[in-house]
Amino acid sequence: MRLDPVTLEIVGNRLSALTEEMCLTLQRTSRSLYVKETADFCCAFAGLDGGFVAYPRGIGVSGFVGLNLLEAVRRAEPLEPGDVIITNDPYRSGGLATHLTDIQVIEPYFHEGAVVGYGWAFIHCSDIGGRVPSSLSPINDEIYQEGLQIPPVKLVRAGEPSRDVEALIAANSRTPEANLGDFRAMLAALRTGRERLAGVIAQHGVDTVLAAQDDLVAYTAGKARAALSRLDDGTYRFVDYLDDDAVSSIPVRLSVTATLDAGNLHLDFTGTDPQVAAAFNIATLGKPHAWITTRVLALICTLDPGIALNSGLIQPISVTTPEGSLVNPVRPAAVGVRHASASRVNDAVGGALGLAAPEILPAASSGLVVPVVVAELQNVQVLEPMVGGTGARDGADGVDGRDSGISNLSNNPVETVETEIGVEILRYGLRTDSGGAGRWRGGCGLELTFRVLEDGSKLLARGLERLCFRPWGVRGGGPGEPTELIVNPGTPRERRHLKIDVLPLERGDVVTLLTSGAGGYGDPYTRDPAAVLRDVERGVVSREAAAREYGVWLNDLANDLADGLAVDEAATAAARLIDRREGFGFGPERQAWESVFDIGTVDRLVAGLFRLPPPARGPRRTALYNAVLRELPGDFPRTAPTPDQLDTARRTLTKEIVALEGAV
Amino acid sequence: MTTAVPMMARIGIDVGGTFTDLVAAVPERGLVVHHKEPSTPADPSRAVADGLAAILAQADLRPEEIGGITHGTTIGLNAIIQRRGARIALVVTEGYRDILEIGRSRMPSSFDLYAGKEEPLVPRDRIIEISARLSPGGVPVSSPDAAELDRVAARLRATGADAAAVLVLHGYTDPAFEEDVAAGLRDRLPELPLMASATVWPEVREYERALVACLNAYIQPLMRDYFGRLESRVRALGVPAPIFISASNGGSMSLRSAAERPIETVLSGPAAGVAAAARLGMGAIVTFDMGGTSSDIAVTVNGSPELATHTTVGGLPLIVPVVAVSAIGAGGGSVVWVDGQSVLKVGPESAGAEPGPVAYGRGGDRPAVTDCYLVTGMIDPATFLGGRMRLDADAAAKSLTDIATRLSGHVDTRLGAGAGPGAGLSAEDGAAGAAHRAAAGALRVATAGMATELQKIMAQRGLDPRRFTLVPFGGAGPTHAAMLAEEVGITHIVVPPTAATFCALGAAGADLRRDFARSLRRRLDPASAARLSGVLAELSDQAQAWLTEQSAAGAGFTAVRSGRGFGARLSHSADMRYAGQAYELRVALDPARLDVEAISEAFHAEHERLYGFRDQHAPIELGTARLGVVGPVAELPSATVPPGTGTPAPHGRRQVLLAGAWHAADVHLRSALGVGDAFDGPAIVEQDDTTVVVPPGWSGNVDGTGNLHLRRSRKG
Repeated sequence: MRLDPVTLEIVGNRLSALTEEMCLTLQRTSRSLYVKETADFCCAFAGLDGGFVAYPRGIGVSGFVGLNLLEAVRRAEPLEPGDVIITNDPYRSGGLATHLTDIQVIEPYFHEGAVVGYGWAFIHCSDIGGRVPSSLSPINDEIYQEGLQIPPVKLVRAGEPSRDVEALIAANSRTPEANLGDFRAMLAALRTGRERLAGVIAQHGVDTVLAAQDDLVAYTAGKARAALSRLDDGTYRFVDYLDDDAVSSIPVRLSVTATLDAGNLHLDFTGTDPQVAAAFNIATLGKPHAWITTRVLALICTLDPGIALNSGLIQPISVTTPEGSLVNPVRPAAVGVRHASASRVNDAVGGALGLAAPEILPAASSGLVVPVVVAELQNVQVLEPMVGGTGARDGADGVDGRDSGISNLSNNPVETVETEIGVEILRYGLRTDSGGAGRWRGGCGLELTFRVLEDGSKLLARGLERLCFRPWGVRGGGPGEPTELIVNPGTPRERRHLKIDVLPLERGDVVTLLTSGAGGYGDPYTRDPAAVLRDVERGVVSREAAAREYGVWLNDLANDLADGLAVDEAATAAARLIDRREGFGFGPERQAWESVFDIGTVDRLVAGLFRLPPPARGPRRTALYNAVLRELPGDFPRTAPTPDQLDTARRTLTKEIVALEGAV
Repeated sequence: MTTAVPMMARIGIDVGGTFTDLVAAVPERGLVVHHKEPSTPADPSRAVADGLAAILAQADLRPEEIGGITHGTTIGLNAIIQRRGARIALVVTEGYRDILEIGRSRMPSSFDLYAGKEEPLVPRDRIIEISARLSPGGVPVSSPDAAELDRVAARLRATGADAAAVLVLHGYTDPAFEEDVAAGLRDRLPELPLMASATVWPEVREYERALVACLNAYIQPLMRDYFGRLESRVRALGVPAPIFISASNGGSMSLRSAAERPIETVLSGPAAGVAAAARLGMGAIVTFDMGGTSSDIAVTVNGSPELATHTTVGGLPLIVPVVAVSAIGAGGGSVVWVDGQSVLKVGPESAGAEPGPVAYGRGGDRPAVTDCYLVTGMIDPATFLGGRMRLDADAAAKSLTDIATRLSGHVDTRLGAGAGPGAGLSAEDGAAGAAHRAAAGALRVATAGMATELQKIMAQRGLDPRRFTLVPFGGAGPTHAAMLAEEVGITHIVVPPTAATFCALGAAGADLRRDFARSLRRRLDPASAARLSGVLAELSDQAQAWLTEQSAAGAGFTAVRSGRGFGARLSHSADMRYAGQAYELRVALDPARLDVEAISEAFHAEHERLYGFRDQHAPIELGTARLGVVGPVAELPSATVPPGTGTPAPHGRRQVLLAGAWHAADVHLRSALGVGDAFDGPAIVEQDDTTVVVPPGWSGNVDGTGNLHLRRSRKG
């Protein structure tokens, strides 16, 4: 390091405060739905290599600290003072933008004629055009359907706003006014950053600020390696699945092989399915990109809570992401709903690292973020951003009804939501019995039930997941309950839905979304009966589930409060005389699925697909799976196959793979 | 303001962990008397009463000569933090049983796999749903019938709760509806104190409003008990004067008001010092309260402290207005340490009072900021806290030498290298030199951290710290004030006389103050402007009524007694935003001009001041109407300080490491400084409860009321 340890600490604090101030400016001036509703924005300060040197803590999207601006900067060069670059194009910005609704701006900060760093801001804008309102839909199958692609161009040239660029963007959005407000908010944030940076340079000198850029990153990288070196070295593999790709019912597999070596971590995604003809692809461009490393960053920051946030966090991480796979798709793959896949990557990485350090990593969290959107003719509102709970871990239950795994979202006061759109929210609460059973219980999912008060309303709920494959438990812990989406529950008009695109609703319809619960940790029969009793008293576990899942029997107390309960010690002891449960608790759906599509066989399948030319992979995969699924029950894997069906399906699968391998 | 009756004496009381400080201000005699009484944490009212008896004797006052007693208490705050309040229940609109579990959904930290959420104030099994709901427009969607009220009352009884709160969705649109529901339950459970959320605080946002009501219910029994004991002890002394309780907004309220709305008093501790500083009449000030674990700042622009409506208490959000106090970093007990990558860190961990800094000799083995003051000569081991605590300077130096060693290769060649402060130290050799450099480095880190936060906080408000006067208090505030001022460009510091007197005197002189709010949530147009005007008029009536009620209790406060509107100061404002924005701006309004044009211009101007642009064409939304009422009390006499000689003779002289070099600094005793005394830095002023550091380039002088002014005269 070039700076002394006092100056480094001081300048580091100054720069991170600068980024927080940028965020505050942006947050308070923006008019975007997503800034307001879900804190989907951020600002930061990057060094000359395009990596972030300082990143805000506790405000904005935490996960993007590993992004890099350099490719976007290169494409817009030459730069002069007062320029601001804009882009939203994942493929032309080197993965800086991760879907088209994330509008990125970059300002080169100059000192005496030379660039000394870059200010960065992004906002998830309300709409950037494309096929559907709000631009995002799971069933978009090319990026062209997802809106206007803006390669890195100058939004402001030497201090003069480019009216041409503004006009072009405005003409391609359903919400031009709101977008213009977003641009202003971001420019205000960049101005704040520029002014504060000038202050830091005035106080400490430009050489110190430049030296700090390298030192701060090296400092964090050293700490990150120190944190990761606390996990046992070795190679660990874990596989998880997206329920389906929304355009077919075939699950999408994510495979992670994590290799830990003295504080360095390699994540190999070989074995992950090819990119899909839907919006779930993550454009990482082959880098250890934010959306596939979030869990590792969270782990590092958990083990070293004081670590400064900057690009040093990802320095210990390297990746192998096969080109054309879900985690490194090629243009024009659609990427709009990449956060659903990122949730599952999170789970897979967490599962693999959990094999290395089971006492550190929790079970799977609920693993979904669903902004429940209702659209009226002239009005689009997020009712609530729905999440579930967090996974249990060694020594602690999961958190009920909150999960910051992908982003730390605020919900909306029902009193403001109902003022802004014609719905009546009938219930917004915890979902009883949804958390995975365990010595430590998984967090409960949530229920949102609302009645539609206006004709012509539509429901959008991208990010629906874990409708089939449950959030898994570990070390004997059970899985959480799967997600459900029901319209008019308990009536003759009841309809159950899986992933939806745009669902028309009628006045008076009642919609219920139940989000998945999180996984449990450890054998539930070893859970303290008093803790089970408390869960029953609080109503997050039913009395029936206490007996069924935990072997804890409860008696009514005759002479106490009306609903007083006590543990029936004898019955509980008797019920608990069974073998201990161990290992992962995946739930019946995944067991059924893997009874046909076991990991080793699918490895062969995926490898075979990747030997085909990219355009042939998707169709071949669909045909192959459909051939096998024809031998299985209609709602497989929710219904397990009979031994005969299993046998036939396995034989068909083998035959198909041999044919695939022969064809290559 | 003239008064018909002679002003009676007033007593201000500041209850601290160790001492309860009392001040008697006797305007007729121009007298201020101070008394220190050991605190009695188990029942603070005992020390209050004992101290009261003592100060009456000391000031030669008869009990009936006292016009008012003002004091604050932390009983409510502690109960919330330690979750030791009443066993309460919550009755809530059907479907919202989990309102407290879900909260605002965010986790305390997003990058922490182990983050948990705060402990809900009411456990889920004591939350009961009721069929009662309003529409956003204030129309009943469902109303509980007798059977429903019977059912809920039975469930409520079964919880065994001591108190309960009621929340009806959209209750803020029609507080009477929610109050009816509460009344129906009260009929069935006459013993159970029940409060309706919109009666306590009619602001939109169901979770935050529920919390206000729950917190109020949660601490009310404890507070009522305490106030009862306090009152009977005071009466037992024969003192008939009304008792006022310090409020979180920097004002005070009658004992009865405080018993009804104790939630409005919970943050009075931090507010009291700020309010006292605001009364110094120094214009735009930043208070800097540096205690053992952290330091806090607050901003006062026009004589009243800035209020915040988004704070937290015990990990829970609180929306009632409180003096905006922000933590900015280290306190005297913050630990100095070196991390695994050899970077020097200060805090956030604190050694607290036990074991405390190494120099305390109570078993602390990690150096704290106070150890750095000691090693650099800023404080004297023999005279710290008026000599009440001897400090072990050698132990402090040794622990800082260890820090220097852990900075490995950096220590001799790099720590303090370059042109920055500390450069002059590189010549010093040996262990002592290493300790000095480590201490100076740690102080630089701590100061820069505070300065960064201070600048961030002020920038958010569109304020330039260089135009402000810094008013330090707390054990370490005056010691660190000049270092902080240098870093942020502040050139004027005012150190009030002893802090204990200062806070107690602040309490004695606290204005009556209450804040009112009512959510509107409408697009700004002529109709909503008229509605705003109507609501503000209503709130203004409520405010006047409240003040009258206080005055009924309150003899002795000239302002309260003088008739004509009680000299009340009303401040009108509204929270506004451009349609679609997530955050509202609080905009002060002129009650005489509440037309659309004036209201919008006030908002545009404030938006432009803060964020550098306005959007003349965007629709504006009116959020919550707000009204503050202040019943000012007349000026109190200041603590009297005798005249000085102008050029005070130093009490001594010692070597102090300031701004990177050793200086021979004159040491003055605060008690020996008189009005008009002036001196130049480098200097040290020692007082009973703190040490004031005056760096080179600064000068000091004592004004007519005993305040010590430090001014930066030249580049140090």
